[in-house]
Amino acid sequence: MMAQAQVSLAGRERRFALTLFLPAFVVLLITTTFPIVYLIWNSFFRLNLSMPWRSGFAGFGNYVRMAGDARFWHSLELTAIYTVCTVTLQVLLGLGLALLVTRIRKGQALLRVVSILPIVLAPVVVGLFWRTLVLSPDFGVADFATAALGFGHPNWLGDPGLALIAVIAIHTWQWTPFVFMVLLASLASLPPDVYEAARIDRANAWQRFWHITLPLIRPAIVIVVILRMTIALSAFAALFAATGGGPGTATEILNLYAYRMSFNELSLGYGSALAVVLLVITLIVSFLMFSLRRQR
Amino acid sequence: MKRSTIRTVVALAVAMVLLLVWAFPIIWGLITSFKTERDVLAYPPTVVFHPTLSNYWDVLFGATSILPNFTSSIILAGATTVLTMLLAVPAAYALARLALPAKRATGFYVLITQMLPPVGLVIPYYLVFSRIGWLDTYRGLVLIYLTFSLPFAIWLMVSYFEDIPHEMEEAALLDRAGRWRALWHVILPQARGGIAVTLIFVFLNAWNEFLFAVVLGGNTVRPVTVAMFNYISVEQTLWGKLAAAAMIAMLPVILLGLVAQKHIVKGLTVGAVKGGGRR
Amino acid sequence: MKDDRRTSHPQSTINSGRRRALKQGAVLGAAAIGAPWVMRHAHAADLGAYQQSKINWRQAEGQSITVAVIPASYFQNLISITPEFEALTGIKVRYDKVPPGQIRQKAILDLTSKTGTYATHAADPMYYPLYVSNKWIDPLDRYLNDDKLTDPKWFDYDDIIKGWREADSLNGKPYGMPYDGEVTVQVYRKDLYDVKGLKPADTLEDFVKNAAAINDPGHRIWGCALRGFAGAGQNMYIYPSIFREFGGDWMSGGQVQVNGPKAVEALDWYISVLSKYAPSAVRNWNWPDIADAFSQGTLGVYIDANSSATVLNNPAKSKVIGKIGYARWPKGPSGKRVTSIWNWGFPINGALSEKAKRATWLFITWAASLETQVRTSWKFSGSTKRPGVNRTSLWRNPDFTKVMSKNGYHFVEASLESLEHDTDVDWRPRVPQWPAIGDIMATEIQAALVGQKQAKQALDEAQTRINGVMKKS
Repeated sequence: MMAQAQVSLAGRERRFALTLFLPAFVVLLITTTFPIVYLIWNSFFRLNLSMPWRSGFAGFGNYVRMAGDARFWHSLELTAIYTVCTVTLQVLLGLGLALLVTRIRKGQALLRVVSILPIVLAPVVVGLFWRTLVLSPDFGVADFATAALGFGHPNWLGDPGLALIAVIAIHTWQWTPFVFMVLLASLASLPPDVYEAARIDRANAWQRFWHITLPLIRPAIVIVVILRMTIALSAFAALFAATGGGPGTATEILNLYAYRMSFNELSLGYGSALAVVLLVITLIVSFLMFSLRRQR
Repeated sequence: MKRSTIRTVVALAVAMVLLLVWAFPIIWGLITSFKTERDVLAYPPTVVFHPTLSNYWDVLFGATSILPNFTSSIILAGATTVLTMLLAVPAAYALARLALPAKRATGFYVLITQMLPPVGLVIPYYLVFSRIGWLDTYRGLVLIYLTFSLPFAIWLMVSYFEDIPHEMEEAALLDRAGRWRALWHVILPQARGGIAVTLIFVFLNAWNEFLFAVVLGGNTVRPVTVAMFNYISVEQTLWGKLAAAAMIAMLPVILLGLVAQKHIVKGLTVGAVKGGGRR
Repeated sequence: MKDDRRTSHPQSTINSGRRRALKQGAVLGAAAIGAPWVMRHAHAADLGAYQQSKINWRQAEGQSITVAVIPASYFQNLISITPEFEALTGIKVRYDKVPPGQIRQKAILDLTSKTGTYATHAADPMYYPLYVSNKWIDPLDRYLNDDKLTDPKWFDYDDIIKGWREADSLNGKPYGMPYDGEVTVQVYRKDLYDVKGLKPADTLEDFVKNAAAINDPGHRIWGCALRGFAGAGQNMYIYPSIFREFGGDWMSGGQVQVNGPKAVEALDWYISVLSKYAPSAVRNWNWPDIADAFSQGTLGVYIDANSSATVLNNPAKSKVIGKIGYARWPKGPSGKRVTSIWNWGFPINGALSEKAKRATWLFITWAASLETQVRTSWKFSGSTKRPGVNRTSLWRNPDFTKVMSKNGYHFVEASLESLEHDTDVDWRPRVPQWPAIGDIMATEIQAALVGQKQAKQALDEAQTRINGVMKKS
């Protein structure tokens, strides 16, 4: 009797849970999982909108082609550079700033307001702003500043090396406030008594940071790194607006290459294959980061 | 004592510089939006100039008015927000508090869907939509917007539901109130703050989306993010108008950002701890 | 995003437009006394000029067609007088304004789906080989030769600029009807040239010499500029002319070849002149950026579409009004001058019903007819009188030349001579794979320009990619 009642109660609970969860689950299946399956399927086909007569099953043809495609390897390399640089810079700057600001009592509110601004702006607008108002030769603020400081007129978006630096700077500019605010919040939540203990132990500021603060906020840092990496890996709009992947292919990360392939050259089969590679990379990176997190 | 004063001064100074770095491009955009084309092109850049409202007038009421795009953005972001919330809140509650079968796996599934690269999603959507005639429709774009808003909203809400004390729920259940009534009368009011935060983020993300809209949108559905891009590529570059259009397009999110500042900070932090993100 | 270049922005030209409209009003008033037709509003339009055509304009009455165009002023003019067409034929026209970056893609999508959403669209001439190889569009000769549909004397197809007709034809058959177009010409600072005793360049060598003579970055004036930004309609809009002038040939033994010695020479010339005498920003410049720079008085000369004259003469922006001269492309080592044959033409979607095709044809002939060309150009009541008219006779019409010569010294002469002598139908490789080829070339050319690669290496890589596209994709 008892057992049966429990089972039916558990069954009711389970039904209730499913009723609440299933609609979202079904929508997720339809909107995310099916398309991804279809993407993978397409990556095994020759599929060019402008040459429909050549469409057909290609097996691993697209992937074989990729192996010999210098532009693909170049974009992969750029993706790695872009992701590592932007995430590292964001975390270092964000952490440094958070450590500085956490000492300030007044004015934190103003800082927060200003830090919100880049975060709420659309990346495409950020890209446009930087391209037209900051980095463009002659009207750009950066150009004017470098000229005034005697550094001449560096061609920010026209020189391959500088363009890469510029897009990394743009991404870092937009998302450092995010890291800053998250870390500021986790610093604020640290218990003050551990510091007191440390002070009694005559630990200096660096030791306190290294042995107390850092271990305590490490979980937050790891999460931030995971988040920022997935976002950096899927960065698109700001780059698209600022350089479009150029000059040449100097800022063409894998994302942009897949886009250009699919929607400029209308070669959707090969574009799909490129996107699949990006997908696999993103998932691997996430898995690695998450398992890293679990170990700690 | 003295050392710490110096440190505070240094901290303030560095903070100020960084403030400037963050605020400057936006302020510069604001200034540019009040300049005539001639003043924009002036070299060296002019700081003192005769401000004009004509850029705003043209962008709002001229032949290439941005207002229809504004409407487009509102419909898109609005519909996405409503749908997302309707689906995400119950799902998150189930995930956070109920005896959902295979909970770990489902939770992980939701997390993974959030990490899918947008460019990988847009290609199959493009192919399917072009076949079924859903390109340039609101239903099509809202559907693909769910791919980033729904997982994000579920994860954010889960962390809020987890914060609600179990006792409240148990008390309500002991009170012989049904599961539904408990959810409606006890849990949801408790999660109000979380719902507000999630709502704001979902709206922001949908408003700022670009890639999906540029590929799958068109004449009928063209949000401000895409329209703005056309300001530089279709017409001759009209810097003042571009800046004015950007200001108008971003006004809602900036206002939202300033008004809901505390909520956003909370959302970022909670989301970060639980794995939320945005593109 | 691509070749749509002349979009003068309606608002920015409002003042100039008003001023010009006043002046032109006076001119037109005088001309009108002797002219059979006078500028009228759409609702009271005089359709007599159309009714002289010996066809039944109302044969497709009740049909409804959708036309895709780009949101540019020259199409805006056409849209605003379309009520006249509707009154004339009883055909309803709906316009879909698609940004230039997307119109090709949208058109292809519609054509592949065979649903016939767009009866016709503003087509890129480079896309006809693709359309035709897929049999997506109808050859137009059967419409042209049907006396129920075309009155050959009234329509006078041969009056349409030859280079544009050829650009919109394939294997001798017309597939698109040019509505508006442009030529690329030298645009130079006549005042500076006069002071230094320079003449507009006759050869590419002279072009470099002139640029060197003017170049003075210390005083913020650079010798020259050419489109540097990557894109089929950006750097691949200018480079093909240079390539052809160096004697290059896109096709070799039935294959597209882009890395021959002539191609390398042409690319080296382009890179060298831009590196020496252009502002470094040119690497990312598309036509509006170049026009902006020229209008601020910082460039000696550039080669671009004649239609950018509208921007250069916009008093709200320009500091060089009255100082602008125009000349044909300088001759290349091969002795040729090669200008763009860019035009927006109208094809007929093959997926339409017979009746809808007839309605579409009537629309196309109406838009391309002399009368409509006049009404959307100097007789247009709005501020922008479009300069890209499609007929040789109009380019010789004193009313037209009078209005257009305000654009600067030798504007009409340079444009007309280019149209008549310098157009080259093989300006760019006319193959179905052009969308991919254009993009590949554009990326590699820019990579070479910014020094990522040597010219030869960039073109070799382009060749490898193009071979791949031609083979499989």
